Amino acid sequence: MHRPRHARGTRKRRAFRAGIAILAGTLAAAVIPPMAQADGTDDFPIPHRMIVTTCTAEQILAAARDYVPVYYARYIVDKHNKSPEVQQAAIDNAHYFYSLSPSDRRAYSEEMVTHFADPMTASWPNWAKIFFNNKGVAAKETDHCADYPPGDMSVWDG
Amino acid sequence: MRLGKLGVMAAITTATLVLAPSAHADVDTDFANELHGYGIYGPRDYNAWLAKITCDRLGSGRDAGAEKSAEFLSHNLPRGTTTAQTWQFLDAAINTYCDDLMPMLASVAEPNR
Repeated sequence: MHRPRHARGTRKRRAFRAGIAILAGTLAAAVIPPMAQADGTDDFPIPHRMIVTTCTAEQILAAARDYVPVYYARYIVDKHNKSPEVQQAAIDNAHYFYSLSPSDRRAYSEEMVTHFADPMTASWPNWAKIFFNNKGVAAKETDHCADYPPGDMSVWDG
Repeated sequence: MRLGKLGVMAAITTATLVLAPSAHADVDTDFANELHGYGIYGPRDYNAWLAKITCDRLGSGRDAGAEKSAEFLSHNLPRGTTTAQTWQFLDAAINTYCDDLMPMLASVAEPNR
């Protein structure tokens, strides 16, 4: 028994439309996700936890020393390879960042990713690595930072 | 004769220069192999670095004793690591990288001594 001709035509049209829909969906998926990800997460370029934390830079470093010690050790080695001026500038920048309100930190982070000529970044591109670069590290740091004293400057020396 | 002695000295110096780095690298490999025996895996370099940091902390007094070292390690070994494995890691770390601190480990095992 043969299918009715118009039914077969309808089926072809449906298949054609389905093909168009899949193609459009694929194209949309290829184009939209990066924007959707950028809009849909508060973790880029600085993890959300670092935007809202009430900890100081020293508290965060103390938590890093105990909970992400290899990451911390690498950062301190990297820091000690910089000039004293650059090291101090990194400390000052971190103090400045954590003195800001969450909304100002977010604005700072937006500026940070577009301001390639920032002198601090130019002299030490990874100066904020231990604070901002890794969401998992940021999570461990902010989970425990409140347990440490706010002004212990020795954490900058390793 | 003098030339012969010089040749021997040169050979020893060359051998030292060539062999020393590989001998040093073997320490981390031996440490990793010992950990494998305890069922502790993970990146070799990470574990070696963690062990050296553990030694530094214990030696400098940041961690006041072996219990504190074990607590530090418990935060930094993979989730699912047992208490026994944590102490095995600590024992291997001290034995490999800072055996002068072994008495601090022994004092935990024999607290009344």
